[in-house]
This record gives sequence, structure tokens and C-alpha cells, in this order.
Amino acid sequence: MSAVLLIAIPLLAAFISILFKKYSIYLLFAVTIFNIANVFLATEGIIIIGGFSPPLGISLLVDTYSKIALLLVNALVLVIAALNVKAYPKYGTILLLVVAGLNGLVLTNDLFNFFVFLEISGIAAYLITASNKKPITTFRYLVIGAIGSSLFLLGLIILYSMFGTLNMVDMIKEIALNNNYQELVLPFTLMFIGLGVEAKLLPFNSWVKGILGHSNTFSGPMIASVYASAMGFVLGRFITNLFNFEGMLLTVVLVILVAGIVLSDIMAFASKKSREILLFSSVAQASMIALLFVNGIIIWAVYLIIANALSKTVMFMIINKAQKDVGSDEVKSLQGLFANNLVIGIIFTIATLSVMGLPLLVGFTIKLNFLTELADAGQIWTIAFILIASVVEGIYFVKLLLKLWYPEGNLIKVNYHLSFKLVFAIIALALLTFGVYQAPLDKLDNTVDTVMEVVNNG
Amino acid sequence: MANIEYLLLFLVGSAVISYFLTRLNSFIGSIFTIFATMFVFVSLAAYGFNMNLDTTVSLLPWFSFSQTYLGFFFVIIIAFIYLMVSFFHPYFLDKYPYKNSYNLLFLLSLAGIIGAFYTDHFLQLFFFFEMIIWTTMFLIPQGKSREAAVSYFGFSLTGSVALLIGIFVIYQNVGRFDIQAGLAGISGTTSVFVFVLFMIAALAKLGTFPLHIWLPLAHGNAPHPFSPVLSGALVKLGAFIGILALIKINPIGPVIGAIDLALGQYIIAFIGSLSIVFGTLMAIKEDDAKKLLAYSSMSHGGYILVAFSALNGFAFAGGLYHILAHALASAGAFMAIAAVARATGTTKMKELGGMIHKMPITYLAYLIAIISMAGIPPMGGFISKWLIFQAVIDRGMILIAVAVFFGSVGSFLYVFRPLAALFLGQEFREYKHVKEAPLLMLIPTFIIMGLNIYTGVIPKQIIDFINNIIGENTAFAPVVATTFTVTATYGTLNAGLIALIFGVGVAIAFIIFILMKKSRKVELMDTYTAANFVHDEHLLHYSVDFYAPLERMYEKQSHWMKKFYDALAHKVKEVGKLAKYLFMSNNIGVTLIWILVIIVLLIGVVAL
Amino acid sequence: MIQYAAILLFVLGLYGIFISTNTIKMLVSLNILEIGLNIFIISIGFNYQGIAPILSSVSDTGLIYVDPLPQALVLTAIVIGVGTTALGLAFAKSIYQKYQSFDLNDMEESL
Repeated sequence: MSAVLLIAIPLLAAFISILFKKYSIYLLFAVTIFNIANVFLATEGIIIIGGFSPPLGISLLVDTYSKIALLLVNALVLVIAALNVKAYPKYGTILLLVVAGLNGLVLTNDLFNFFVFLEISGIAAYLITASNKKPITTFRYLVIGAIGSSLFLLGLIILYSMFGTLNMVDMIKEIALNNNYQELVLPFTLMFIGLGVEAKLLPFNSWVKGILGHSNTFSGPMIASVYASAMGFVLGRFITNLFNFEGMLLTVVLVILVAGIVLSDIMAFASKKSREILLFSSVAQASMIALLFVNGIIIWAVYLIIANALSKTVMFMIINKAQKDVGSDEVKSLQGLFANNLVIGIIFTIATLSVMGLPLLVGFTIKLNFLTELADAGQIWTIAFILIASVVEGIYFVKLLLKLWYPEGNLIKVNYHLSFKLVFAIIALALLTFGVYQAPLDKLDNTVDTVMEVVNNG
Repeated sequence: MANIEYLLLFLVGSAVISYFLTRLNSFIGSIFTIFATMFVFVSLAAYGFNMNLDTTVSLLPWFSFSQTYLGFFFVIIIAFIYLMVSFFHPYFLDKYPYKNSYNLLFLLSLAGIIGAFYTDHFLQLFFFFEMIIWTTMFLIPQGKSREAAVSYFGFSLTGSVALLIGIFVIYQNVGRFDIQAGLAGISGTTSVFVFVLFMIAALAKLGTFPLHIWLPLAHGNAPHPFSPVLSGALVKLGAFIGILALIKINPIGPVIGAIDLALGQYIIAFIGSLSIVFGTLMAIKEDDAKKLLAYSSMSHGGYILVAFSALNGFAFAGGLYHILAHALASAGAFMAIAAVARATGTTKMKELGGMIHKMPITYLAYLIAIISMAGIPPMGGFISKWLIFQAVIDRGMILIAVAVFFGSVGSFLYVFRPLAALFLGQEFREYKHVKEAPLLMLIPTFIIMGLNIYTGVIPKQIIDFINNIIGENTAFAPVVATTFTVTATYGTLNAGLIALIFGVGVAIAFIIFILMKKSRKVELMDTYTAANFVHDEHLLHYSVDFYAPLERMYEKQSHWMKKFYDALAHKVKEVGKLAKYLFMSNNIGVTLIWILVIIVLLIGVVAL
Repeated sequence: MIQYAAILLFVLGLYGIFISTNTIKMLVSLNILEIGLNIFIISIGFNYQGIAPILSSVSDTGLIYVDPLPQALVLTAIVIGVGTTALGLAFAKSIYQKYQSFDLNDMEESL
């Protein structure tokens, strides 16, 4: 089957679903399941659309990297929508748009087409966050998002005016021929900032606090897991293949990312609300992922995205459900949440320990591997900063965990549906299994991303 | 043949089984835990002494193990403490909020310990260290305080992170993670970095000054049966890292001519002596028996540091001997206090008294443990301190020697206080019903009592084993020992003879006690005070404000370090709030400014 | 030359977003920004001697076409801009329904 269907079918279904509003969510289930099957069947390589051979026209690039991203995004959308089918049944059309947009982002090989998908998925994201019932924060997200994508477009157009092509592969070739990085600093900076806004890198991400700080069981995991991982994947694609940061730009980007990790963890340390702690931890993880891509550690960044998406789905859903039932997300008022919810507590603990990177869980394997590769690259100061931030991270997560485990005064009552427990348990088991059994992770390496291969071999 | 891999898998498997058994019935689960620990201990003891363990791996191919005398010395002590403590589980678990997970985490942490001392790969060492930290971190809050667990975790994590950065510095210079080759391969400034980082890890885990804040919190508030593990076993991980850094790394730097010692080692010895002094002073002040022993652990950590930084055979042997002696002594003392706490529900000295009438065996166990802890013959602590004193004087480290002797005298001042307060003196009315600890708890009590005496009377086997470690890791001369004697620079210590004389003295005293007139028992309120009537018997307790004049001298200073760390946490929070204000503003304009600043900065820099 | 005007509009839009607290004014500024951007895109493909890029039967030797691609891009960008604006207005309306104001400063504390 063609990978084009991964974008076309959800888009078509989104239009059809307007006619059958009641069944839109079921249409979504069907589409995502079809997409997941399609990912396995899709042939790898460049897919030409409309008969224009590259560099003309739009083309898609299917490789292991984009397949992993597609699988993760579609599966997570399916799971999150299924778990929220009772609470948020009306979002089928929007979620179909999300699937189309994000699949397009991951697949497309054309820069302007990328911008279009960025806007489609952006608009869908604004609509999803509307479920927070905090229109001001959503409005802010919209304005900042629009500025971000405008900056991206500006950078993109400057690149077009320089090289006369929008095809990513073609552009990489042209840039290699031109070999003057000085001129590229402006467009690359603009594009990096534009993507940084969506990928919630630190100084460009003030929208996150309002959005994730008021999120619910639906918008929380959607933004913190699905969007974060899709944006992580595309940011990685751009950084490793197009940007190839050099010289001063590299220094500035590294400083931004390392400062992002350290400051986000410190901000989480200073937070008293459970959702804020989780969101700042997400911000730190986003910077970490970008940092790994900048250093060319593709495969462990990919695993980090996956592990982070799975853990954050679990954590945001558990906390947001509790917030909904209790009416507050202050850590103080959620004390003893797990005293009555043992299974949920164990799962949350496993997810948290994995994010912290403690042994027996997959987060530890990933952490040690990417740190080793950073050491190979001679980045000892980066390692030191990451690890110092991890101390702060460890302390605030342990504080959170202990507060949630040990009640003080009245026991609070939160009921988790059996389906929640089941799905979460599977995720926790996966985190545990891959933490103990590392062999499958070693099967893939940095060659999952084949853009450079296509550039070199045509 | 016992295989390390199987032992690890066995422990992980039995950890899971123990969870379900404990869930079924906490007594059965605990008995199972005792047998699991015993199996591991016996396997290690049977094969490990002669390095006969099988270190090949087949099921866990990403691990690699090797056995060393040094690693075995630690692992056998710690496994022994684990075994002894597991006997206490059946009587304590029911009180804990998450008792099901207690045995699980306990066995998992033991697996971590065995792995940590048998691995020959730095990253695996870190893996096992982190595993120990998080499993034990979940055990501590089952006691009295959550803050204690956070503090323990924070300091331990700081230590591990320092260790990991050090490991990566080594890796960058040597290109591999092999422990022996890595430590041997570094030189120049790198060795200074690694030395400092490893020592931070060692200080944090050993709980020595200035990273000691967690020690009294964690020891004092941990579940009663877990305090002996913390103090007797887990802090020794720091000693292990300390040995790696002090013995195997030679940081470049000036050598202090007068004492012929590198500056790095001398600084560590100085930190160790500070730790001795502070630990002693704080222990004198403490009212909670467990916290008192925790501060004593801090000062003993100082002794261990001094011993390993003196860099000669006697000091090295003394340090290792001290690790063993202190593990036995502090485990014994903490277990005795755990037994009292189980019966009475408190560890505050002023709320206790006269337990000797109800719990004589526990009393004897505590007595023997503190004799060893204070370094009085005929217990193990005496021999180790004797060796350390010799080495310190031999080196001519005057300042350190003063601290070492101060600590020794100071320990007389504090260790007998819980003895007198808990066990001697008058019995309060509320403890009339108290009984001696049950038989299962007395088994480890007797064993540890015996070993405390054994290490103090017959040093031969232990010194012989330590000589193996000296030969394996250092170029120092081995220590000469016969069955009852140890010989050092300034003479020969005949431990057997001392024990004999001590025994005769005790016997004479006992005969006098039997023959002389019985003392008359009086009630606590059977007394009078000048000019006022005391109606609360608790005020008559002698340990109330016992060292008040001494305490007043350093009352203000005693909180400095704690205040420092509180202020540090506060400052980090302030930075976080500032960062939130700067980056997470509700005003879109702020984000715009950041975007523009970065664009302008880059363009400006590139244009220049 | 026209590029400078486009950049000026872009910066004006940013400035407008920066100083205004009114949701509607922000959206207007956003539109100004986008118009600037669109003009910039168009100007990239513009050529003084160029003619409309339509393929005809006449021999095309010596003719210079205007680059058609930016024009196609601009069309898409305009549509996307309209979509974003519409959504923004919808949110502005729901903010108004909730707080009876368009001024974000009026409801800062009610967040």
C-alpha cells in the first residue's frame, strides 16, 4: 500500500466525519487501525506524488525513522481517544485532522508542504486545547504558534530564494555544493525557532504552562505525548539532515538546549502543582531530545522520544483524572492518591522512575547509552549539566511520588476505569521489559534516518 | 558451584515471590525472605572466601563479573548484615503501610549490592548503585518520615551523579569502562578531576562531613529493622568508592614533605577528622537513640576516611578492620534499639528506662556493641582503632591525630548514654508489660554478640584475609598477626591476653555482685528535691539535659550545615521562580523578546 | 526594494502583538505580519522583465517568466492565515462570552 494513504485517508475521513458527527470517533478508530497496518505494509523509499519526479512536485520519504514515528503517533492517538471515548466523544473529526497533519509532517519531503502540515496539526492542537475550557491560554497558544510558523515560513522562503528548491533532499545537495554556512545562519535560526515553538524548547514555549497546566485526560497526553513526540521526530529530521549546526550557531543552540534542561528541571523543582511538575519535566525532556539530535545520537533520541511519550501518557492521564475527581492539582491536595489505587500507584511509579532514568527501567538504558555516546563525542560538560539537572529532577519526582503514596489526613477517592489500568499496565510492563532486556534496542542504529543516504545515492 | 548470575536471578525471583507471600501473610513472607537471604549468604560464604565463585555469564550476557578479595570483603559483611536483619522482619512488617513491598525491595537491594561488588564494569557498577538507591529509598519512608527519604535520595543521587561524571571522564581518557584498567589508565589533571568526583560520591554515600545531613534523618526515621542495614551495610558503599579513589588514583599535586603524603589524601584525611569531630559533638547532643547512633556512624565514617588516606599497610588494614567492626557494632546496637522500640514504641531516651529488667539479653547485645563502637577492648573496634592510631602517629599527622583521639574519647561520652537511659535506671510505669524480644529476634542478637567478641579476641583470620586484600590492591607490607596478636610499628597488641584479663575482671565483679548484699529497689518517685515537689517522674530521668553545659557551647553552630542545605534548596527554588517569571510569562511579549534576542544575538555574532 | 516594505510590515505586526493586550488587535497585528510575509514570498519570485508563467505555443526563447512557485505558495499561505484568524476570532469570542471583555489585562487574575 502507498504511504500517501496515511495522509489521504484520515483527511478524507475527517471530511466524511462531519456528516456523521456521532460516529466520528469510531471512524477515527478505524482510520488509525488502518494506518497502523499500513505502516507495516508501506514500501520504503521516496514516494512521488502526481508524477512530478523530484526535485519538482511533492514527494514523501518512508524509512524506518518515519515508520517508527508513524506507528507511535497513530497508536497513541488510538489509545488516548479510546480511553477518552466517554469523556470526550466529540473530538473525532479533530483527531482525524491531527492524524493527517502529524503523519504528513513526519512523511513529507517538501519544505512548503511541511509548513502546511505544521499549520494543519497546529490548528488541530488549538482545537484540542479548547477542551481545557481556558480560552485565554488557548488564544495565547494560537498567537505564539502562528508567530512560530510564520518565522518558520520566513526562514523557508529565504532558503528557497537562495537555492531555488523546496525539496529537502535537493536542498541538502545544493547546500553541500554551496558550502557557505555563514549565509545560512539566518534562515536556519528562523526555522529552528519556528519548530522550537511547537517542540516546546525553552525560551519559545511560554504557551506550555497555560496549556498543559490546565490540561485534562484528553488534551494532556495529546499535547505532551503525541504532539511532543511528532515534533521531536521532525525536529530531529531537520537538525540531523538540514541544519547540521556549525560554529557559532552550534554553540548558541547547545547553550539554549542545555539551559533548557537545567532551568526546566529547576522550574519543576519550584512547582507545587502536580501538572506543572509534569509539564516542566516534559519541557526538559524536549530539550534533551533536541540536544541528542544536535549531537548526532539519532537512535537513542528516538528511543527517548518513545519512552517519554509512553511514560508521559500514563503520568498525565493519572494525574489529570485525579485532578478532575479531586478538583485541584496541588500536590498537597492529591496526597495519598495511591493508598487506595495500588495498581495505578505502581504503574505511575514505574513510569516516573523510567523518566528519572533509574535502573531496571528503559529510561536508564537509554540514559546510559546516550551519555556514553556524548562522552565519545567529547561533550563532558554537557554530560555534567545533564546529570546535575537529573539530581534536581530526581528530588522533585521522589517528593511527588512519596506525597502521592503516603496519605495525610483524609483519604481522597479517585476511581480509575479498568480500561485505564489495563492499558497503563501494558505500558508499564513494556518500560520494565525493555529496561531489563536491552537486546532488541541494539538492533537499530543511527542509520534509521536515511535522508543522507538518499542525498548521496539519489 | 555458585554462580553470581544465578544468585542475582535467584534474588530477583525470590523478591517477586516474597511480594505475593507477604501479601498473603506477612509472617510467611518474612520467613521466606530469611531463607532467601540465608541461601545467598551461605553460597557466598561457602565459595567466595577462596574466590571459587563462578563468574561466567550465560543468561545475562550484557553483564560481566569478576571476583576480588576487596569486593568479597564488602559483600560478605553486607550480606551478613542483611541476613541478620531479616530475622527481625516477621515482627515489624505488620506496622508498615506498604508491607507487601518491603521484602521485595529488601531482596532487590541485596541483589544490587552483590552485583555492585562483583562487577568489573563501571557502568554496571553505576547500574547496581542506582538500583540500591531507589529500592532502599522506598523502604525508608515506611518508617516515620518522608522527608528523610527525600534527603537520603537527594544526597545519594548527588553521590552517584558525581561518580557517573567521574566514570565518563575516565572513559573519555582511557576509552573503556573496565574498572581496574580505567583507574590505572588516568593521569595528570584528569586524575585530579576523577579523584574529586569519586570522593564526592564516597563522602555522600558514607555520610561524612559535609554531606552528612541525610544520615541522622534517614537512620533516625527509617523503619527500625532497616536502620541497621543503612548504618552497618549501605554506608559502606561509600567506603568502597573511597578506597578506589584513595588507593588506586594518584592525583597529581604537591606532596606535603613533613608527613610524606600527597595533598589530595591529606585533604580527605582532614575532612575525615572534621567528620569525626562533628559527628561526636552532634551525637553528644542528641536525645533520640537512633539519631545518636547515626551521628556516631558519621564519626566512624571519618575514621574510615582517615585510615584509607594515610596510605600504609597498618592504616589500610585498620580501615578494613574498622569497616567490619563498625558494621557489626552498629548493626548490633541498632538491632538492640529496634527490639526496644518494638516493645515500647519509642526511641527517645528520656521516655525510656530500666529495660534491663525486662530485656536483659538485648541489654547485653547493646552493651557489647557499644564497647566495640567506643573502641574499648576486648571488642573488634579496639583493634581497628589501635591500628589506625598507629598509622596516624607513624605519619606524623598531628592535627588528624588530635581529632582521632578526640573522637575516641568523645565516643565514651555518648555511647553509654542510650545504655544508661534505655536499659539502666528506673523503669517507667507504662512499660510494666514489656517482655524480652522473641526467640527469632534473639538468634541474630546472639550471633552478632559473638562476632563482636570474636573480632576483638582472635584477629588472625581476619588479618590474614585483609593481607590478601593488601596484596591484591596495594604495594603495602602485610600486617603480621598470630592467633591472638597483631603487630604494628609501635609494638604488639595481644588481644587474647587483654580479653583474658577483661574476662577475669568481669568474673570477679560478678562474684562480688553475687556475694554482696542485694541492693534495695526503690520507685522513681521515692525521692525528694530541695524546695520543690516533682510530680512527673519523667523529669527525674537522668538523661534530660545531661550535657547541657557542653551543649550550650555549640548550640548555635550545630545547625549550620542543615541551614546551609535548606538555604541551597531555597535558592534553587528562587531560581526556578525567576525562570518561570522570565520564560513562562502569561505575556506573549516576553516570548517575542526572547525570540528577537536570540535572532539578533546570532546575526550580530555572525556579522562580526 | 519591496522586500524592505514586506519586512517592515512583518516587524510592525510583531510590534503590534507585542504592545496590544486586546485579543482582536492581536489578531489584526497577526494578519499584518502575515501580509508582510506573503508580500515577501511574492517578491522572491518577482522579476521586472518577467511575464506571466503561462506555457503557450509561441516560442519561448528569450522570454523571462516570473517564478510561479511563490505565487502558489502565497495562495496556500493566505488560506492558512485566514483559517488561523478565523479560529483566533472564535476563541476571542469565547473569551468575550466568558469574561465580557476583549482585553487580556482585564482577566489576568481570573486565569
